[in-house]
Amino acid sequence: MDLSYGPKYEAFREEVRAFLEGEKHNAPSASIGLSEGSGQVRDWQKKLVEHGYASRTVPRDYGGFGAAPDLLENIIIDEEFRRAGASRGMANQGISMFVPTLLQYGSEEQKRRYIGPTIRGEMIWCQGYSEPGSGSDLASLKTSAVLDGDEFVINGQKIWTSTAREAQMMFALVRTEPDAPKHEGISYLLVDMKSPGITIRPLVMMTGQAGFNEVFFDNVRVPRENLIGRRGQGWEVGKATLIHERNMLGAADLTESTYLGCVDVLREFGVLDHGVYRDRLMKLAARTQAMKYHSMRMLTDRLKKRPPNAAALIMKLNGCQLNHDIAKLAIDAMEEVGTLKRGSRHARADGAWQIGYMFQLGLIIGGGTAQIQKNIISEIGLGMPREPKAGTGTLSRR
Amino acid sequence: MDFGLSDDQSMFQQSLRGFLAERVPTERVRAVMESASGHDAALIRQLADQGVTGILIPEEYGGTGLGLLDAALAAEELGRAAAPFSFHTAAVLAPLLLAASASDKAKSEWLPRIAEGKSLVSVILGAPRVNGGRLRGSSMFVADANVADAFVVVCGDESSPEFHLIARGATGLRVEPLATVDDTRRVGEVFFEDVAVDASTRLEITDGAAMLARAIDAARVALAADALGAAERSLEEAVKYALTREQFGRVIGSFQAVKHMCAEVFAEVEPVRSLLWYAAFAWDEQKEDARAFAALLKSHATEVATEATTTCVQVYGGMGFTYECDMQLWFKRAGYDRQMFGSPTRLREIAADLMTAA
Repeated sequence: MDLSYGPKYEAFREEVRAFLEGEKHNAPSASIGLSEGSGQVRDWQKKLVEHGYASRTVPRDYGGFGAAPDLLENIIIDEEFRRAGASRGMANQGISMFVPTLLQYGSEEQKRRYIGPTIRGEMIWCQGYSEPGSGSDLASLKTSAVLDGDEFVINGQKIWTSTAREAQMMFALVRTEPDAPKHEGISYLLVDMKSPGITIRPLVMMTGQAGFNEVFFDNVRVPRENLIGRRGQGWEVGKATLIHERNMLGAADLTESTYLGCVDVLREFGVLDHGVYRDRLMKLAARTQAMKYHSMRMLTDRLKKRPPNAAALIMKLNGCQLNHDIAKLAIDAMEEVGTLKRGSRHARADGAWQIGYMFQLGLIIGGGTAQIQKNIISEIGLGMPREPKAGTGTLSRR
Repeated sequence: MDFGLSDDQSMFQQSLRGFLAERVPTERVRAVMESASGHDAALIRQLADQGVTGILIPEEYGGTGLGLLDAALAAEELGRAAAPFSFHTAAVLAPLLLAASASDKAKSEWLPRIAEGKSLVSVILGAPRVNGGRLRGSSMFVADANVADAFVVVCGDESSPEFHLIARGATGLRVEPLATVDDTRRVGEVFFEDVAVDASTRLEITDGAAMLARAIDAARVALAADALGAAERSLEEAVKYALTREQFGRVIGSFQAVKHMCAEVFAEVEPVRSLLWYAAFAWDEQKEDARAFAALLKSHATEVATEATTTCVQVYGGMGFTYECDMQLWFKRAGYDRQMFGSPTRLREIAADLMTAA
């Protein structure tokens, strides 16, 4: 049992700190998940890539820093940037999801064409996976792509596409083999968002923000070279992207910061010495600390290259619910002030707690609902049987 | 960065699990539960052979001199087996207090015997203050009260305690049983009817209040570990049952409602393991947050365990509610763990005072 990082990593930490000391004034205002590429944002991104604090493991050949993967280095970078309040750079889906996929499945030409501009923030991507009729059951997706000469012709619709309006490109899962079994008929295709036939309609969330979109495809043509991997390999390629893990310890750190923020709210609203609030707070403290050390356990397993453990399956389920519950306590402590939304006079932290409370609910649902997570835990973690296939009779509305 | 058990620790835990699975099946547990004394002397000697009773006892006194993290692993396995042994007092609280005393005589007399499984020593907290060399009053919820060979008696206020080691046959010392829902770990009420104490019974412990607090923290960690064991065992058994029991033409474990009950228990229980490891480690390293984490851990672990065992009883349906079904063993184990040495609410209050200045 050794919670220290060791001298090699402590030296690395000093290096990161020194960089931040000198450069953090150049950072755009700290916000996680910057997706747009404004001037200051892109300059910062370039600087981060140069120093290896973004796209650290992307090979130099494609414009990255080219370091060997090292979980602890990544964690230290996260910790120090968070401590300094400096932006960790763009974290859009192109960088975090598409680039790793391309490195694994793309052709040399595709890697050279897309990776550099993406990691420099010059090319913004959106993800075309879910459809109105294919959410939890993503593999049932129906957007089709038919080969016509040298082009695929795409018809259909995608939903929950964040940054569709800002993106130059989309990586999409489309059905190219209608006669093949469900999972084997899907291909991973890149789409230029300026293509004729694309219509984008914003979706407003309950937070009031229009973070998502619907995207309609009406005979949209894309070159056949835009296929990543083989025809019919799309499910495998797409899943590899979905499985790509966030920095788990980073997520637990964020929860701990959220918890500490909640303590501040309780103090500010004069209820921190109130027995009932203290009791609720300690319940959250216990869950927060448990998830923090659980993340450390998972990190250690990964560092030691142990085979995947059922215990790793609970991260998203527990993390999102906990963040949601912490926000709930903060809102409760604020009484009526807790109802004020962004833009209102007297709103505390400009309504951030209400936004967070709703946004976390969105996260409980998105990226694999809590119910799907529980299915996965019970099936893969506990060895319980999958649902028997529904018959075509009374169980289905179709 | 290495947050986890060493190979030795993993092996010790697995080996103890195997031993208990073979030698302490639920039939044996039930036999002890139903006995008058609730005491299985042979089991204690077997546990001694496994290095369990002397786990925190220094090697110079015949123990294995390991840490609380190791003890927590043992406690977890005992919880899994619902083994009839009050590990948190007999192997944690009593040895820690004895080992902390200045009296080499008391230590050499009792610690080796505890390590060998030949003597059982319990602890009486909240005993009356010594008055004119006498103890008058009573204390409740004393573990192993009916069978302990001696008691470490903590007299007076916990902020300035006086420790005495009083043997079972001392004049004026009377024990009456108390019956709790957990018959695997018996407790009693001890009456002090002018029991004489003096320099010969006195255990001199430097910084007695701090040492007592530390020992209680260790007992809390041990109870939390027991609760973890009970929770995870009840889930294992529930899943096993759900994969065999059929209703409506299929195993009940294929119904999503049952799957989700089990998944929810799993998701709650697993992080407790990591919290336990850290709390035990923090205690071993005497970290500043050790006290807060012992309280936070036990409050959380026992809440999770009562939820888990309650849910798992329901997976068994009507059978889960019977005396015959083993689920009641872990349900009641969790119940004892929850109430002793600080209920969840009480411990959250303690943790809040330590973690959050108002």
